[in-house]
Amino acid sequence: MIVGSGAAGGVVAKELSTAGFNVVVLEQGPWRTEKEFPHDEMKVNNQNFFTNNWTDSPNTFRKTPSEKAKLKPSVMYGRGVGGTSVHFSANFWRFREIDFKEASVKGTLAGTGFADWPISYQDLEPYYTKVDWEVGVAGAPGPYDPPRSRPYPMPPHPPKSTGMLLEIGAKKLGYKPFPAPMAVTSRPYDGRSACVQCGFCLGFGCEVRAKSSSLVTVIPKAVATGRCEIRPNSYVRKIELDSKGRAIGVKYFDAKKTEIFQRAKAVVVCANGAETPRLLLNSKSNLFPHGLANSSGVVGTHLMFNGAGLALGEFEHEVNGYKGLVATRVVWDLYELDRKLGLVGGGGFDFRFDLTPIGYAYGGLPPDAPRWGKDFKRHLARAYTRTLQCYGHTTSLPVPTNSISLDPEAKDAWGVPAIRMTYQDHPQDLKLYKYFAERSEELVKAAGAKRAWQLPVESQDFSVHLLGTCRMGNDPKTSVVDRYNRSHDVRNLFIVDGSSLVTSGRGQPTMTIQALAFRAGDNIARFAKRGEI
Amino acid sequence: MPEISRRTFLAAAGGSIAAVWLAAETRDLLAAGAHAARAGRENPPPPFQFLSADQAADLEAMTAQIIPTDETPGAREAHVVYFMDQALATYAKERRKPVTKGLTELGTRSAKMFRGAKSFAALSDAQQIAVLTALEKEKSPFFGEIRGATIAGMFANPEYGGNYNKLGWKMIGFDDRFSWGPPFGWYDRDVR
Repeated sequence: MIVGSGAAGGVVAKELSTAGFNVVVLEQGPWRTEKEFPHDEMKVNNQNFFTNNWTDSPNTFRKTPSEKAKLKPSVMYGRGVGGTSVHFSANFWRFREIDFKEASVKGTLAGTGFADWPISYQDLEPYYTKVDWEVGVAGAPGPYDPPRSRPYPMPPHPPKSTGMLLEIGAKKLGYKPFPAPMAVTSRPYDGRSACVQCGFCLGFGCEVRAKSSSLVTVIPKAVATGRCEIRPNSYVRKIELDSKGRAIGVKYFDAKKTEIFQRAKAVVVCANGAETPRLLLNSKSNLFPHGLANSSGVVGTHLMFNGAGLALGEFEHEVNGYKGLVATRVVWDLYELDRKLGLVGGGGFDFRFDLTPIGYAYGGLPPDAPRWGKDFKRHLARAYTRTLQCYGHTTSLPVPTNSISLDPEAKDAWGVPAIRMTYQDHPQDLKLYKYFAERSEELVKAAGAKRAWQLPVESQDFSVHLLGTCRMGNDPKTSVVDRYNRSHDVRNLFIVDGSSLVTSGRGQPTMTIQALAFRAGDNIARFAKRGEI
Repeated sequence: MPEISRRTFLAAAGGSIAAVWLAAETRDLLAAGAHAARAGRENPPPPFQFLSADQAADLEAMTAQIIPTDETPGAREAHVVYFMDQALATYAKERRKPVTKGLTELGTRSAKMFRGAKSFAALSDAQQIAVLTALEKEKSPFFGEIRGATIAGMFANPEYGGNYNKLGWKMIGFDDRFSWGPPFGWYDRDVR
């Protein structure tokens, strides 16, 4: 039994069903196909076509544990078969060796739970390679790649003007840009066609099956085994235990809100870094009064978002960033920072223009541009095709008080306690984001922008990256899952998604989430065959 | 990681106002599309569904100051007022009261600033700009709302009733071909 059909759930479903196990996947959202995907920014960006909607599934937010949380959209994730992998931008960066052991190399920091992973890059490498080949990643070796056992299965995409400008700016500053690794087909691959460069990637679903989402890669393979049933519109409310503390199945609501019990030999929760801890906390019992698999009290804590430092720039000629996929070149020279800066973590850059027309007219203009009238119109007409963003994607630190918990009052449309998010960026992270915003502005200027401006850095209160809330570790007192993604407390309960991450990487977590899912699938099958579940 | 597009939408939504203008249901969309098609085809155009002729004239004059017509078409030619009328007639019913009230106050203010003016629409360009500048200075929620709705009506897919003939998209150089290859822009013109 798998809860969630996204980046992780889809992979585990494929791995277990092809290994001969019977699998049921419960997905809270609908099962849509590419024919139903609109290129309509109203529907997608404002009406949550692909994502959770805050009318039925509200969440509350507060900065610190001493405040009372208020209703405010803060959590966003893909709701539907394929999960967030359907509408994400498909940047597929592997983590590097340092991401798994940064705390011991750089030292921990006060006010954080900064820690090493119980596994290393080498442990995960075979599974990164599996993701490359089974999911489908296009790219070319870069100067800072961690060791890889097999080359990319597809060549990189052709560079867009955004990519060429990043090359110009980066080289001027002494950086070494390289082709962006993207989970998008650059040639026909595995029965799917090549990307047509429609430009509606981030936030949208791919209508030609070129984006390597779970929906079009692993899920069809799982279903084809005849042993995997995908059950959409099935919203899991509680995981049930027997008196010995083994998971026996889940209670879920079907599309008509009828409650159904589904029995299972083992439960794998892949519901994302917000819904996974919520489900565990909502699955209280006499054995686990503080939430299932939460004897440590760590479930829901150490929430990480990834941060960002951004600058925008306007160029003399047409960039047309709205055409084609999100990123074609990246810069990793600041993946780790000079120790003299006193900053832990680091990041990577891409140039992009991911603003759709309404979004651009609302929020993509320089701070001093007119907001209406002749000059407003002139600006829009000139700058839409000539503006780009330099996106500095960064780490964010695991802070114990940043968390997903249950709101004591707010409930969703099914009467289930809603998510309460508590989040405030660590002061060192705010410095890091600012550092990246400054470097972003330098890059945009070095690329030849006529004008450049930074976006202000402030503590975040909204995220699409939901990480770290059921962290992996060897010690059952300080972590939720072990090195195999198995719950320390309940031996037939596994948790695999962004919640397993111990550190946040450099802004692109999906590749690592899927590598963990392939590895967990392998291990679950091995345990089951040995009768160890 | 902040997602700018989404964040600007949320920020623009400001807790609900602009959000309503962006919240069409599929059912309403079909009606909006049909009405917009009629508006483009028929001469004289079909009657408004919610707005009175005077209200529509004032509202259209506002949109035409926010995105004016010069050498190229503006909000007027893009039928942004039809987008608004359609919204008010269907999914944005809760905005009827504030919009009606805002329009009444706009009339009053126009008459106060320019003695004897019959309506905002009847003012000269310079006078209309003076009225809107005053509203903007006061951080008038009505002005903010109409500005937001004008942008939505200008750039949303044409089936929402505005962006007639894709005039909004043409204005900014957005081409809805949805299939591209190199060169994408000027800076990759020499690639391969």
